[in-house]
Amino acid sequence: MREVSEVIIRSESDLDAVRAEVEAADSGYRYKLLVCLGAGCISSGSEAVRDALLEELGRRNLSEEIRVVGTGCIGCCGSGPVVLVQPDGVLYQGLKPEDAIDIIDGHILNGVFIERLLYKKPDDGDVVPLMKDIPFFKYQTKNLLRFCGQIDPTRIEEYIALDGYRALSKVLGSMTPEDVIEEIKSSKLRGRGGAGFPTGLKWSFTRTAKAEPKYVVANADEGDPGAFMDRCLLEGDPYSLIEGMAIAGYAIGAHKGYIYIRAEYPLAVNRLRQAIEQAKDWGLLGNDIMGSGFSFDIEMRMGAGAFVCGEETALLASIEGKRGVPRPRPPFPAEKGVWGKPTALNNVETLANVPMIIREGAEWFSGFGTGKSGGTKMYSLAGDVKNTGLIEVPIGTEMGRIIYNIGRGCREKKDFKAVQSGGPSGGCIPKEHLSVRVDYETLDELGAIMGSGGLVVMDEDTCMVDIARYFLEFCLSESCGKCTPCREGFLRMLEILERITTGEGKEGDIERLEELAHIIVDTALCGLGRTGPNPVLSTIRYFRDEYEAHIKYKKCPAGVCEALFDSPCQNACPAGLDTHGYVALISEGRFGEALSLIRERNPFPSVCGRICTHPCEFKCRRGETDDPVALRLLKRFVSEYVSAAPRSYQRSSNGVRVAVVGSGPSGLTAAYHLAMMGYETTVFEALPVAGGMMAVCIPDYRLPKDVLNAEIEAIHELGVEIKTNQRLGEDFTFDSLFGQGFKAVYLAVGAQRSRALGIQGEDLEGVYKGLRFLMDVNLGEKIELGEKVVVIGGGSTAIDSAKSAIRLGASEVTVYYRREREDMTATDEEITEAENEGVRFRFMVVPTKILGEGGKAAQMLCAQLRPGEFDSSGRRRPVPVEGQEFTVDIDSVIVAVGQTTDLSFFTNEGEVSTTKFGTIIVDEDTMETSKTGVFAGGDVIRGPATVVEAIADGIKAASAIDKFLGGSGKLVEVTRKKARIDEIPFDLEAEIVEQRRVEAPLLPPEERVLGFREVEQGYTLNDVIEEAKRCLHCDRKLME
Amino acid sequence: MSEVELTIDGRRVSGRSDQTILEAAKENGIRIPTLCHHPRLPITGACRVCVVEIEGAPRLEASCATPIRKGMIVRTDSERVRRARRMVVELLLTRHKIHCLTCESNGNCDLQDLAYEMEIDMDSLSFEIEEPDDPVDSSSPAIIRDPSKCILCGRCVAACQDERVEHILGFVERGSDVRVASGMSQPLFDTDCTYCGECLQVCPTGALIEKQSRFMGRWWELERVETTCPYCGVGCAVELYVKDGRIVKVRGAEGGVENMGSLCVKGRFGYDWVNSPDRLTTPLIKREGKFEPATWEEALDLVASKFQKLKKVYGSSALAGLASAKCTNEDNYVFQKFVRVCFGNNNVDHCARLCHAPTVAGLSKAFGSGAMTNSIRELLGADVIFVTGSNTTENHPVIAMYIKQAVAERGARLIVADPRKIDLVDYATVWLRQRGGTDVALLNGLMNVIIGEGMHDEEFIRSRCENFEEFRRTVERYTPDLVEEITGVPADKIREAAILFGGAEKASIVFSMGITQHITGTDNVLSTANLAMLTGNVGRESTGVNPLRGQNNVQGACDLGALPNVYSGYQPVDDEATRIKFEEAWGVPLSGEPGLTVVEMTNAAYNDDLKGLYVMGENPLMSDPDLNHVREALDKLEFLVVQDIFLSETAQMADVVLPAASFAEKDGTFTNTARRIQRVREAIEPIGESRPDWEIICGIAERMGYRMVYGSPGDVMEEIASLTPIYGGIHYNRLDGEGLQWPCPDRDHQGTKFLHEGRFARRRGRFHAVEYKPPAENPDEDYPLLLTTGRQLQHFHSGTMTRRSGVLDTLVPECLVEINPVDASRLRVQDGDRVRVVSRRGEIISNVKVTGRTPEGSVFIPFHFSEAAANVLTNAALDPLSKIPELKVCAVRLEKEC
Repeated sequence: MREVSEVIIRSESDLDAVRAEVEAADSGYRYKLLVCLGAGCISSGSEAVRDALLEELGRRNLSEEIRVVGTGCIGCCGSGPVVLVQPDGVLYQGLKPEDAIDIIDGHILNGVFIERLLYKKPDDGDVVPLMKDIPFFKYQTKNLLRFCGQIDPTRIEEYIALDGYRALSKVLGSMTPEDVIEEIKSSKLRGRGGAGFPTGLKWSFTRTAKAEPKYVVANADEGDPGAFMDRCLLEGDPYSLIEGMAIAGYAIGAHKGYIYIRAEYPLAVNRLRQAIEQAKDWGLLGNDIMGSGFSFDIEMRMGAGAFVCGEETALLASIEGKRGVPRPRPPFPAEKGVWGKPTALNNVETLANVPMIIREGAEWFSGFGTGKSGGTKMYSLAGDVKNTGLIEVPIGTEMGRIIYNIGRGCREKKDFKAVQSGGPSGGCIPKEHLSVRVDYETLDELGAIMGSGGLVVMDEDTCMVDIARYFLEFCLSESCGKCTPCREGFLRMLEILERITTGEGKEGDIERLEELAHIIVDTALCGLGRTGPNPVLSTIRYFRDEYEAHIKYKKCPAGVCEALFDSPCQNACPAGLDTHGYVALISEGRFGEALSLIRERNPFPSVCGRICTHPCEFKCRRGETDDPVALRLLKRFVSEYVSAAPRSYQRSSNGVRVAVVGSGPSGLTAAYHLAMMGYETTVFEALPVAGGMMAVCIPDYRLPKDVLNAEIEAIHELGVEIKTNQRLGEDFTFDSLFGQGFKAVYLAVGAQRSRALGIQGEDLEGVYKGLRFLMDVNLGEKIELGEKVVVIGGGSTAIDSAKSAIRLGASEVTVYYRREREDMTATDEEITEAENEGVRFRFMVVPTKILGEGGKAAQMLCAQLRPGEFDSSGRRRPVPVEGQEFTVDIDSVIVAVGQTTDLSFFTNEGEVSTTKFGTIIVDEDTMETSKTGVFAGGDVIRGPATVVEAIADGIKAASAIDKFLGGSGKLVEVTRKKARIDEIPFDLEAEIVEQRRVEAPLLPPEERVLGFREVEQGYTLNDVIEEAKRCLHCDRKLME
Repeated sequence: MSEVELTIDGRRVSGRSDQTILEAAKENGIRIPTLCHHPRLPITGACRVCVVEIEGAPRLEASCATPIRKGMIVRTDSERVRRARRMVVELLLTRHKIHCLTCESNGNCDLQDLAYEMEIDMDSLSFEIEEPDDPVDSSSPAIIRDPSKCILCGRCVAACQDERVEHILGFVERGSDVRVASGMSQPLFDTDCTYCGECLQVCPTGALIEKQSRFMGRWWELERVETTCPYCGVGCAVELYVKDGRIVKVRGAEGGVENMGSLCVKGRFGYDWVNSPDRLTTPLIKREGKFEPATWEEALDLVASKFQKLKKVYGSSALAGLASAKCTNEDNYVFQKFVRVCFGNNNVDHCARLCHAPTVAGLSKAFGSGAMTNSIRELLGADVIFVTGSNTTENHPVIAMYIKQAVAERGARLIVADPRKIDLVDYATVWLRQRGGTDVALLNGLMNVIIGEGMHDEEFIRSRCENFEEFRRTVERYTPDLVEEITGVPADKIREAAILFGGAEKASIVFSMGITQHITGTDNVLSTANLAMLTGNVGRESTGVNPLRGQNNVQGACDLGALPNVYSGYQPVDDEATRIKFEEAWGVPLSGEPGLTVVEMTNAAYNDDLKGLYVMGENPLMSDPDLNHVREALDKLEFLVVQDIFLSETAQMADVVLPAASFAEKDGTFTNTARRIQRVREAIEPIGESRPDWEIICGIAERMGYRMVYGSPGDVMEEIASLTPIYGGIHYNRLDGEGLQWPCPDRDHQGTKFLHEGRFARRRGRFHAVEYKPPAENPDEDYPLLLTTGRQLQHFHSGTMTRRSGVLDTLVPECLVEINPVDASRLRVQDGDRVRVVSRRGEIISNVKVTGRTPEGSVFIPFHFSEAAANVLTNAALDPLSKIPELKVCAVRLEKEC
């Protein structure tokens, strides 16, 4: 490769000459292969990839035609090493040295893109060859990063060729210092270090301060965990900072600049040092720059990794060789900065923006961003998000766009929970605020800060109390320890948080935390102390329920705080089943004991073994290695294998009567436990059959009737009386129950009223309500669906309706859903099964009208949707695309868009307090309604939920009713828990060998659609032991 | 500074624009509690106890760090403020070892006071108390550091780093692990701590306490007496804390004008000798070679009658007296009056002869006044400070503190000229390491460059000086190259230093014994005066020639006429009008002939010309050169009276010993090195039967037939003022607080901060053409090493006081001969080896310390140790003009003792 001769730049035309020379040299190459040599890609091996490319090119004598350029960060750090092929703009990802051959022989020599190395869309697997089309890049605005990843950061001439140093030349040639400051002011550039102070104003203060000499200081002490913007920028384009500093020096009247940079950034340090040397060699730093008489020099100072040295006064102390400790302001650095002299102290990113503003003009710059704040902002996107890396978007970009458009949301279908903005002393922003436009003011209002621009995404597996604890621990350990509130206050806050996360939380702890936090914010010396409580305050603000769960119920909903549970699966089970316990027993072949352990809490092991949404499996740690342990199937196995269900312990009757209204999972579970405790329990059911939704809404192919009935029968055998065809409000009332001597009532009537679409034509023949449809199918009613069936909705009811429709002989069943597939509430397994059975799906559509012919539904008008603003659920509200309506022919429509409660049984309005959504309000500890002695649980308090949640409420209610009636509230235990687990031998030290889960056989799809035979077949004896042995025994800590 | 109006707690108040809210509030009688704040330490804003609410500010702000602004509305006592403050105090209490029961700071603890003030109930703190149990560091003899009582306010660190520029204490670790550590987290005793005790004084809790005063008294039991430190010439204002007739603690007086509360290890910890069992408690009369206690009547009668008899037998000239630079002005005035009246001659001198006689002689010749031209704290304002022949950090630690502050905090540049690598070298821009005794050449070399570079102040020279041309012709010959040859200082360094000094706007010269204790002492001093005049650095603030006086009252003893040639106020005895004035005042005829100087007295005794000697508080048997000779001379005396607080080496040879009261037991005044007259106050009753010196003298005078009656030292000062123009305005009721700097001619005069403003005391400053002369005795084949003597930080003078101080004697228990590693290896000696040091006059045995501080070919011996008295070796060769002996240079050899 030819070298541009080193010259001393004396004028604009020298810059032109360099550009011409570089362009001439570049024009000799057919291709440029830009290999990312950012620290991220280097760590994943990009240097070896570059070497391989060079070697292979050399071997083919292509070195003169194809140029390999090592660049700074291209951005998508999560998919490195990456290579960008120019001029084609094709980005290859996740490269290994051996891929060099394919790229050269395939792409370079034959113009064939190497598909396996290209980006693939996660949903449909389509390849996206061009970088600009990859969503991660498509939604960004790379102004500041325009050179990063495009130039060789060790060659100043490449920077010059892309108009580098034009701004300095312009400033020195034709602008007064005041002009420069004016330009910066009108660009609305604000401090990118986080506080957002207007840069132009800061400069003018420094310029007018009366002392000499003056200094420019660049803060490159990027210390936030998960922040790497400055590092990437410096590694990829060290020149913009240097040029920006020189311009700042000219503007404020300084001749010396310091760059304070972390010593932990060796690559950035080296590139910067090299760039400074080059600038000096080329006459762009030093004495009399470009003959203007202006002199400016830059010196680097290494920080030793103290987070607090990012605080400006601490940074100044550190530059002076003192302990990096903040001091009170005023005096501000603009007045008394380094060595006590006026100092313009700016963040790297702020200064790097300056050349662009001068070059392109303030108007252009302020065209990006908001009215108060111009330009773009870099963020480092990290955490539980699919695309991590360095990004740049205009200030004021919606948070949701950053996380979903660029970051593509959370991994593995996990729910997005919050995003921590502004580093450890920033705040957590929950999903209801995803629509916020990210700028200084709005973040502040939300209790977060811009900080330096770190965005750490957290999914549902993040415990917000633990996160608050983590960030506080960081802030405490990085506190300089000078001021009392920060040093001692953080310690006390941490102590409280540690207490909470280890189950020692006390009532009043939240309030104590808040008070302490507010006083620390109010009194601490520097920004670290004044913002350090943010994570705690913001998580309390948005996730107070999680704190309360820890303190009150000693439960960590996210399954993070280990002290609060024995195993993650148990913690995840709403009903609190001793999951690891029964798995251990199963692995030893002790099936009977396993079943009685399950039945200790859950009277429906067979039902749950089939249709449970198994939240336990999502938290199974085995899933991090290969697949989660098949807990549901294990449960199903024991419930079937143990021929006679072991008789549960039954206390002799205590003579106290309790009524349960509703025989769904919640009501029957409560009745089961109450009976075990000795209560004389009677269940009242409005329908002719017991079992509630389990009986009437879950099709047989998922839950055969006899399986359910056997478990109901077992409850009956305990002495529970079940009275069917007894409707509250018609056949009896609360008062009549109390009159009959019932001492307490558990109301568990569920939510079985289907929601309507609210569109024209819903009352036509051939339009079914989802639940009613399933009930009719279950009860064996005759239904004529016709050929073309459309199901509207995205939940289990919709899927079951679609599958049932197929089984009833419909030839074309399509599910219409108004969001994306990944937004569906039905489980992945359900959707996949439906697809296999021939159900089709159409996403982002909504019916707007159903047209009938002769009173029968015949056509449906639909609107095509696109994602709109983020709503308070953290999802994008779908909005119609103008002019994209379409019509489909239909024979019938099943509307399964959700259920609500039906409280028409209340004869006295206001007898029991309800919410505006029609659910009953209960005390969350006692489950008691506003009416004394009347308790409620299940869907009637939650809205439509899962069977296992209904069971959980039943357990809780039974305990609460026992307490209400003078008991201890303790469930009856039948197994020896402690001894049980100790008896199971397993090797604590054993290495985990990858072993996928044992799949349960399914009925082939072609057989399934023929009728309502159970689809899933369950484990064999061999399978079950093998599967149970996959358990990692997360509860092992109990033994240690 | 403009006046600023603001509102505090609803009151319209005014302050100055450079004030903080805390200061403005205080001035307006509004109290804001503080912990980390200390008026003389830099603002750190660490504790956050002083937070206040400022209208419009989003958060509370520390009042100690926030400047006032016009129209500001401040609330210091709102509910929000009180809650925050209370939380801060509670947070501190939560991790504090609450041992108030026996804590030394009980009753003097800011944390305790705040907890009480905020009505904090220890039974219902917001947090559980978690008493730290960090180990107590009691490694040092002086200071106990208990980190568990530390509230991390940072005062001690600021005191150590910013105030004393010592950097022994510092913060280590981060977050809640932050703590104060000494050195590299070593026990304090293993660090280079000088035990100035500044940390101890500023500590608001019991984290730093004084070891020797532990359990000696609760704060509320102690009586506080403000007085002046008895050690060096800085004249630090001290507070003595007394319980039951015993000094149990000493602190620097925060209002002290010279020290601003600072002290050094001696001043702070070296006070226990006052109550030492060795103190003389009764007069002693030697009978058959043994001392026997006597009554005052007996002793005074004997002394008076013996002096009378000697005077009658041998004539007036056979008697002489040595006054004392450690005694008060009043003692010295009375003493010299006694000698002049009762002995009838001017044979009175004192140890200033051994230190600053050349200063007085030289500066008088050049400027017309022998005193330090400027004030101590003016050093803070200098651009360049030139320290030559002064090991300031050890001899005048508090002055050294200002020099270091000037360098470290204010950007001043320091030039050090010293053969030894003294501590100040670390702060110097240029270090000139000249050969011992070559100062004239070095100074001439500097001036040669300054003139050559045209950096001299022609206007100043022309308008205010004389004899420049003759001087210039001499200096012209001292080119840097020639000077390099004489002094061994590289010519480049000479140029560098000269340009630095010549370019300064305000340059101060500081010197001490290294300049004066030579046979060329006066020439050396004249050269410093030449340098100051050449560059116009006299008669302005932060400039001048600043000799540092070694003892607390050398200046005063000289001022009050304890010199053979002058009455008080440097009024010559050979001036007739003056003599007549004193004759009239004292009512007796006086001799117009100057008397004997110190070494001349010794020689006279040796030659049998002197028969009777009255020594007040001096110890010539330790402090004078060639001690063997001194011993022989004193042996020949017929009658020796020593008046002292201890049975010193000299006292042991006396015929009569008179027990004197120490500085803590009497009233009076000291005059410090910067001409400041300050009060000495009685803190305890005189020990045993001891009496103030002036009272004893008056007793003898009366018995010799001259009635000197003073009701109190104040009366003595009245007489001094009436006869001494420069003390004309001095009166006790004017001396409370800052004291007064002479010249202070009348009662309305406010004293003089710096001399020679506008005009020299002798009208025109006189340049002197001074030629280099080599020392009297240079190393040779037999005695190949150059010996230089001096003091060290922990000890003082002949050691009578400091060697009886537990702390000081523990810190430095023995004499160590400092020798360069090169010489050491040649002589095959190592640290701790015993050596015999031999000069032409005698020999001593001492242990060795091998150190690069001392230049090759040279040894250094401190002269405090009687068991290895350095002055056995020194040369009594005298400067012809000032009669100072050449204590700084003589030739010795070392022999390794087996």
